[in-house]
Formats: sequence, structure tokens, C-alpha cells
Amino acid sequence: MEREERFWLGVLVVVFLLVNAITLSPVVPWQKWTLWARPTPQAQFHVEFENYRIHLPSQGIRVKAGEFVEFVATSRDVTYGFGVFRKDGKMVFQMQVVPGYENRIVWRFDEPGTYDVRSTEYSGPRHPEMFIPDAVQVVP
Amino acid sequence: MNIGWTEKWTLRFAVVALIFLAMTGFEGVLMRTQMAAPGALANFERTLNAIRITDHEPTPAELFYGMMTVHPVVGIYGFAYMSVMGAFYFLVPFIMKREIRHKKLVPINFWLQTGGVLLCWLSGFFGLFNSLYTLYWPLPVSFDRVPLVGTIPFTVGAAAIMVNILLFSFNTFSTVLAKSNPQSYTFGQFLRAAFGISRLMKALGKEDKSAPNLDYNGLPVFIVAVARGSVDTVINAVVLLTAGALILVYGMAALFGHPLNPLAVDALVYKNWFWWGLDMVADGNVLIYTAGVWYLLIPLLVGRRLYGESVVRTVIMVDLLVSLGVWSHHLLGDQVQPFFMRLLSGQIITWGEFFTMGLTIFASLMTIWKARPVKITPPLLFVLGSIFGFIIGGAAGLTQANVGLNVVLHNTQWVIMTHAHTMLLTGLSTLLFAVIYALIPMLIGREIRSRTLTLAHFWLWMVGSVLMTYVMGMAGSQGMLRRMLYPQPNPYQVYLDVALVGGILMAVGFLAFLGNVLTTLGWSSLREVLLPRKQPLRGVAL
Repeated sequence: MEREERFWLGVLVVVFLLVNAITLSPVVPWQKWTLWARPTPQAQFHVEFENYRIHLPSQGIRVKAGEFVEFVATSRDVTYGFGVFRKDGKMVFQMQVVPGYENRIVWRFDEPGTYDVRSTEYSGPRHPEMFIPDAVQVVP
Repeated sequence: MNIGWTEKWTLRFAVVALIFLAMTGFEGVLMRTQMAAPGALANFERTLNAIRITDHEPTPAELFYGMMTVHPVVGIYGFAYMSVMGAFYFLVPFIMKREIRHKKLVPINFWLQTGGVLLCWLSGFFGLFNSLYTLYWPLPVSFDRVPLVGTIPFTVGAAAIMVNILLFSFNTFSTVLAKSNPQSYTFGQFLRAAFGISRLMKALGKEDKSAPNLDYNGLPVFIVAVARGSVDTVINAVVLLTAGALILVYGMAALFGHPLNPLAVDALVYKNWFWWGLDMVADGNVLIYTAGVWYLLIPLLVGRRLYGESVVRTVIMVDLLVSLGVWSHHLLGDQVQPFFMRLLSGQIITWGEFFTMGLTIFASLMTIWKARPVKITPPLLFVLGSIFGFIIGGAAGLTQANVGLNVVLHNTQWVIMTHAHTMLLTGLSTLLFAVIYALIPMLIGREIRSRTLTLAHFWLWMVGSVLMTYVMGMAGSQGMLRRMLYPQPNPYQVYLDVALVGGILMAVGFLAFLGNVLTTLGWSSLREVLLPRKQPLRGVAL
């Protein structure tokens, strides 16, 4: 290996270490509770997917800002996606909903407001219909 | 003029590859139009619906997703694979100074690939097979969503493609490893060296008596890349064949009135198996073949020996090993995928590509730098464009292959446009254009006709592809999903409109390229290439 190659390999190693260290650290806010701690959720919400429909809990999804909550999503037919979006369309988080499994994700909403739920995985031609506006209410 | 047998077949592969590129580009423009202006294609759709095999009037969404399903099949297995087959059938024997081992397989490869891709396309375009290329279980066998009339021909077409790829790989290995070659290998010896077993034995202080040498020191580096990349090609074809066979079994059972239980197959295990195989293309042979072509073309174009050749041989081996372990970056959104798999395979091992591509690009650019002053010929210009494409597309890929960032990037436009389409359009397609610009003078003995059209092609394609992919990536970072038809008013409308402009720029650039190639070939050469004439098989002049 020539001198320039060794230098370049060193640069690559530094970039690799820096980017991975930063993105695995709590600088990415949700890494605090997905990687570095296992907080106990204050509430659990079951969301069921079947035949292009998203079934939310009958009492709705109402959470307190700053509290940890767990979403448990199941599918009775094909793979879907469970995505929560701000009103301006920006994604808050999402996960795949694999049939035959309990798909779980813990989240903490920091901003009060209402959030939409949309399936984030293609499940057939009626996939775009899988949208529930104002599905999650986050209160102060 | 008289074009040789091998050259003629290479040109045939190239012509059909370009037709497939035009088809997939046309589909891209149609889908982009549908997203930006729903209803704009209504008359066009009504006309086509008259000849579609469906039991009801298809919805715009069914048409959209049918097209989206076959779009990558035509692009990858039509345009890219046909180009690779044509180029390798000329270059491998040319560099090895020997003939193709099984010449009769060349026309079989040509027709089987063309037929397989067309059958898949027909299944989506007319049969409305809409499971998308991901084929997530059990969607492809959910026949209330995916029409059976499209599923069966699609799987047959896909099987034809995969069997054909195995035949092509067999012919490539046979040609490279043939015994009459002074540095010949058995297939077993080849595999041991391909995966670095000989090196490992040496590192452990043991001699590997099965290995003639550690790293194919007798073979040109391009051939090393072709051979190692073809290991990924074979794995990809075998895995996709198994998935296709499974879907076909369910399809036939449903056809004969004995539907099988889709939940008998574990969706997560299937997803792991499928992505492991599929990723042998996206993160395997594409990167290895690309590296090989850079290693071949750049020294030829700048007239200097490849910089750091011994290192890049090792890099190709590492690339092969890395490609076997990165598939979990497609399952970062699956919370049920074990976390250590997402972190290790999905993020850390995926960063192996940062090192392999980083060193590959460094060797390529250093070769050019040390050869200064260099003349920027059309192929070199496109090689530089492809390097740029792989840098920016690769950086976008590493951004999303991250357990943290993937939470907000998974399945967004960022993934499919800023990463995948930048790799495919700005990176891979530009490289394939470079190969065509380099090969045409070698194949027909004439230079490319118009430099103005070449430059127009280059700049329109580069600006168009970067504009389209990066604008859509910005929409993705704002939450716009891929595989989604948003109703009006669409919150991402401005991004869609600008991206459509980018797509049109690319289309105009492609037309400039097509005009340039056709006028360079001329009618007489084109007729000689396209119309079969009886003549004895003969090899390329060495």
C-alpha cells in the first residue's frame, strides 16, 4: 500500500468513526430511548391492520407530551407500515407492520398537537387510502 | 462494412438495452406525470384499458402500481443486464485473448433475457401485476389485491431471466476458468480465492495447496472483478428463483381451485431471504462490476497503469464479502428484526462499502491524476460523471443505512430517489454510456460522430438526473413517501413539478445520445447488426 493510500484509508476510518459515533449518540434524540435506555412506557396502544384498514384503539390515542408510550401494531393479512406524521406532512417515526408478529415501538412526543397516521408500506393498489387524520392527540 | 460475430452480438445486446432504457424512461415519465398531475393520463389509460386482460375497469392506482412493479425489472434486467452481457461477451474474451467458451449460449442469452423482461413487462402493463419488486410476503399471493392473471406470467418471466443469468454466469466462468488458459483455475480453486480462504490460510501460517496463487495474480484486474461480481450475480439469481417458485406454486394452486395458506410462510424469514438475495445486485455485483469497468477503462483512456493495483484486488474481495452481510439495511424499519442484526448488518457492515468504494474511487481518480495532462474524451467524461454519481448516491445510502436516521427516512422519497436513482441514473447509467462510447469505435472502427451531441447528452443527463433525484430527496426529508399516490392538493407539488423538469431534461439528453449513436453506426451497420445473416461462427480478432 502506497503512502497516499494509507493516508486516504486513515481519512475513511476517521469519517466512519465520527459519523457512526454521532448518529449512535443521543445527538439523534430518539437514540436516547431506543439505544441508550429502556424506559418503561406510561401507556400502550394497540393498532390493528387488516384489509386496507387501520383500526385504532376505540378510546383513541391521547398521550401526554414528554411521556413514553408504546405502540403495538399487528396485521392479519399483508405487510403494512405504521407511520405518524405532523400536520405539515413531516414524518415523526414509522415502523413496518409484519404479519404474524407484534411490531412494537416506544416513542416520546415532545410537542403537543395532533398527528396523522398513515400506512408507510405498500400493501396493494388501495394503499394510498390508508390515512387517518388527527389520529394521535398529544396534550401538554 | 463487415462486423465480426462477437461484435455484432455485443451491438445487438446494446441496441436492445437502449430500447429497454427508453421503455423504463417512458414509464418513469408517465409515473412522474401521474404523481404531479393526476388525471392527465386519463385518455391514454382509457385507450390501453380496451386491450387489458382484467375483469373490471382498472383504477388509476392499479395502473400506476402495475407500472411501478415492472419499471425496475425493465431498467435493471433489461437495460443494465443486457448492457453488461453485451459488454462482457466482447471484453472478457478480448482481454483473456481467447474465445467465448460456449458461443451457442450467446444468442440464447440474448433472446431469453429479452423475452423474460418483455413477459414481466406485459404482466405489469397489461396483466396489472402490482406486487412491486419487493414482493413482500404474502402480498404477491394475495390474489384479491394482485391479479392472478398477472402473477403467473410475471413469475414465469422472472424465472426465465434468472435461469438466463445463471447460463450467462456459467459461460463467463467457463471462459475465464477454462483449462486452456495458462493461469487456469478449477471452480473450487476459484471460489476459495474469491472468498479469501487462501489468504486466511496464509495468515494462519498454513499453506493452501489447492490455490495456485492468492489473488488471481495471473488475471487482469477487470477479469477478477467480473469473476467475483459474478458470484453475487449467481446468488441473486438463485435466491430470486426460489422466491419466484414459491409464488408460482401458490399461483398454480389458486388457479386450480386449491388455494394454499399464505401464513404458512413466515413473512420475516422470507423478507430476510429475499433481501439477502436481492441485495447481491444493489450492494454486490453493481459495485464490483462498476469497479472492474473503472479499472479497465481509466488506464486505457489515460494511458497509465492502474494506481494501487494490488490493493484494489483485495478491495474487490472485501466487496464480495461485504455484499454477503449488508441486507439488513433494508429491514431497519422492521422492529421485529433482531436489533443486533439491524445495527451490525444494517449499519456497521454496510459501512464496509464506504471503505471499498472509497478506495476504488481513490484508485480511479489517482490513476487519472498521475496521468496528467489527460484528454477528456467522451468515455472519460462519462466515467468521471459516473464516479460523481456513485459518490453522491453512496453518501445518501449511508445516511439512510443508519438505525437512528432510518426512523424518519425509511420508505421515503429520499431512499428511492436520492440514493437508488442517483446510483442508477447518475452513477450506473452514466458508466454504461461510457462503455458504449468506448466500445463503439472498437466494434465498428469509427469514432463517435458528434462531440456537440455527446456534450449535450452528458450535461442534460447529469443535470436532469441530479435535479430530479435531489429535489425528490428534499421532498422525502419533508416526509413524502415512496410508493404513494397523494391526493390533490398534494403538499409536495412543487417538488414533483421540478422533478418532472429534471426527468424531461434526461429524456432530451437520451435523445441526443440516440441520435449520435445512430448516425455514427449508419444505416448499413445497423442493418447488418439487426438483420440476421447466415455466417460461420468466428471469434473476435485479437
